[in-house]
Amino acid sequence: MNDTKPDTVPEKCINCSAELTSPVVCSGCHTLYPLPQSVDYFGLLGLPRAYDLDESALEKRFLSVSRHIHPDYFGSASGEMQQLSVRLSAELNQAVKVLRQPVLRAGYLLELCGGPGPASDRTVPPEVLGETMMLREEIEEAQADEDHPALQRLRKTVEEKRAVLVERIAELARRLPNAAAEDKTALRHTLNAVKYYDNMLELLWEA
Amino acid sequence: MTSKRDIIIGIDLGTTNSLVAWSGPAGPEVIDDGDGPMLPSVVAYADAGGVERIGAPARAHAIENPTNTVYSIKRLIGQSFDDLAEELGRLPYPVERRSGEDGRDMPVVRIGAKRITPQEVSAVILGELRERASRHFGETVNRAVITVPAYFDDAQRQATRDAGAIAGLEVVRIINEPTAAALAYGLDRNKHATVAVYDLGGGTFDVTILRLSGEVFEVLSTAGDTHLGGDDFDRTIMDLAAREIAEQFKLRIESPATQQALRTFAENVKIALSNQDSAALEIDLGEGRTYQRELTVAEFEALIAPYVERTLASCRTALRDARLQPADIDQVVMVGGSTRVPAVRRRVGELFGRAPYTALDPDQVVALGAAIQASVLAGERRDLLLLDVTPLSLGIETMGGAMGKLIMKNTKMPCQATETFTTFQDGQTAVKINVLQGERELARDCRSLGVFNLTGIPPMPAGMPKVDVTFLIDQNGILNVSAKEQRSGAVAAIQIVPAHGLTPDEVKRMTAESIAHAADDMQAHRLIDLRNQVAFDTNKAEQMLERFGEQIDDALRDRIAGELTALRTFADETTDNDELARRLKTFDELTVPLAEAGISSGLREPAQPQGRR
Repeated sequence: MNDTKPDTVPEKCINCSAELTSPVVCSGCHTLYPLPQSVDYFGLLGLPRAYDLDESALEKRFLSVSRHIHPDYFGSASGEMQQLSVRLSAELNQAVKVLRQPVLRAGYLLELCGGPGPASDRTVPPEVLGETMMLREEIEEAQADEDHPALQRLRKTVEEKRAVLVERIAELARRLPNAAAEDKTALRHTLNAVKYYDNMLELLWEA
Repeated sequence: MTSKRDIIIGIDLGTTNSLVAWSGPAGPEVIDDGDGPMLPSVVAYADAGGVERIGAPARAHAIENPTNTVYSIKRLIGQSFDDLAEELGRLPYPVERRSGEDGRDMPVVRIGAKRITPQEVSAVILGELRERASRHFGETVNRAVITVPAYFDDAQRQATRDAGAIAGLEVVRIINEPTAAALAYGLDRNKHATVAVYDLGGGTFDVTILRLSGEVFEVLSTAGDTHLGGDDFDRTIMDLAAREIAEQFKLRIESPATQQALRTFAENVKIALSNQDSAALEIDLGEGRTYQRELTVAEFEALIAPYVERTLASCRTALRDARLQPADIDQVVMVGGSTRVPAVRRRVGELFGRAPYTALDPDQVVALGAAIQASVLAGERRDLLLLDVTPLSLGIETMGGAMGKLIMKNTKMPCQATETFTTFQDGQTAVKINVLQGERELARDCRSLGVFNLTGIPPMPAGMPKVDVTFLIDQNGILNVSAKEQRSGAVAAIQIVPAHGLTPDEVKRMTAESIAHAADDMQAHRLIDLRNQVAFDTNKAEQMLERFGEQIDDALRDRIAGELTALRTFADETTDNDELARRLKTFDELTVPLAEAGISSGLREPAQPQGRR
């Protein structure tokens, strides 16, 4: 496999010598470059590494980079370029998926800043555990009774509680990268907690 | 202008009908070589296993030749034999499990002593479309974009690509049918809208929700059923008639020919009911017995309601996955011949709260979209950007037989996931990975794409090797797997045993065979033509001998009579085309005085049908 990542970003295109405005593609001649190790999702999309981001800039950059690297434009290129375009597009799609969603974006940024990952710290604040357990019971009851007004009420409650958590996540994520260790831990725990509410919303989607 | 060498055709390989299109200077157009734009996806085989007829002629003779006429092969391609248990009882041609030594499980069609894979049958149809396009351009076309139902899994996509290869085509892209339709729909309008494409074909159903913004086509979600289509509507009528015939006449419809006749009949009734309130069912059962009844639209709609409901359930899933409500959809675009059924249009309209858009030709729009995508791939245009999603979650079987999801459904393609594997025994150098597609929790309820055998792991104590396996789904929705050991950097080899597909070697062999067969088939075709000509010419000479025999010289008359019998016998026995052609020519020359006698006697024969080619 030739997917070893280079460490640095080339400055000029090796093919046409144009200055590179993207780490992975020459906008002039569409020569592709493997994603360097040093470039994260923010860098791939040419955005500053921070929790708050300009959503319309994200969408614009996603489309403009896609227009240069999507495999459909390499239909007649060499096999190597074709393969590279597939891999780069996969990275780009993943980057956009993560950056589009505030919760995923905060989690990604936390790990970039050396915070704990979801595998190393699975702690959920105990008050969340208690609360979600009660909510789940109520949902199951309402589902068994096919009580649609109750389910709609519950969905609203869950959405509101989730919104409070996302607010808290934003607040903590804005302190990155120089956040105190306890803030990073608190962010991890709040991110873990959101999952519980997401799972409940799955159950309540059609309520 | 691009040179013709670069032409990439767009092919809609349908369950019932197939089409080929290309993007010309005036925009995309379907290639029609005089028989209409649609090629029925039907292949008739001779008893010896050779291809006898393709398309409309094959369909026309299906009733006489039910066990050798293969249709709806798209329902079989890329499937396991067991997946098809229900399907197979309903097909008049015999399908069996392919006996494989390597644990693979796929259906094959039995024609005489031959076993023909669905890939090879599809290749015949693709080959015919390729021919059609080559004739149109006056040179051989080698590259194609082929459409598949969005809900096709990896095995079905691979099988379709293999069918293209067997037909001698480089399949530059597999594209989803509803997405292709959206391309053809949206390109004219160039507007910003959220669109649902409802695509109900002969045997498959897809619904895809897209966001169109100018030249960007972004799929948000897709859902569907690869075993649901207009065929099922026909079957409800067939089943009704069969049941009532059994009740009234104590007759069971068992012979493949009767089944085939009933199927054709049911299809016509369904089509009639799109325009009228009722249709007459009348089937002559022989011995003075006739099954007769009136089928109303209301009864028909009750019969198909469960199928229509299943499509609506898929629509709700697609909406949910796109996080949208029905009111968020600006337009519902209807695609596929089965959307001509009024009940379908009505129910879809009710779900989305708006009348569906039916102005597109539901049969052609997918092929046109494929041709548009082909022009992008040929480098002729760079304005369009198509972002599609994977229809099914991809995962691996974990300890205890659970499905561990690595890539969720509706993830933008290309996409990838990396999973780290280790060993359980000291010195273990290989790991088997069962790769799955589907949404269910247990591995056994999901589709196994095959067992990937990870070999070449450096021998180390148990748990020490860390092998990163990357699962990459490309823009075609086809899985590529690669592996690397973290510590040593050793590239582990991945061998894939496709659960329901062909190995690359088999595809190669079949490609070679299909080229050889094409030559054989041409020879066989010429022989049939020559035999027909011999029959025609000898019959004609016989008639002339009776009427004008006295007007020619006795010796010639006897000679013609003798040659006539000899030529007939020879034509029946020989397989030597050239010798038969030579003897036919000699015979025709010999009978010239006889023809002249006929003309001179002033009794010109009535105009003969044009039998000569």
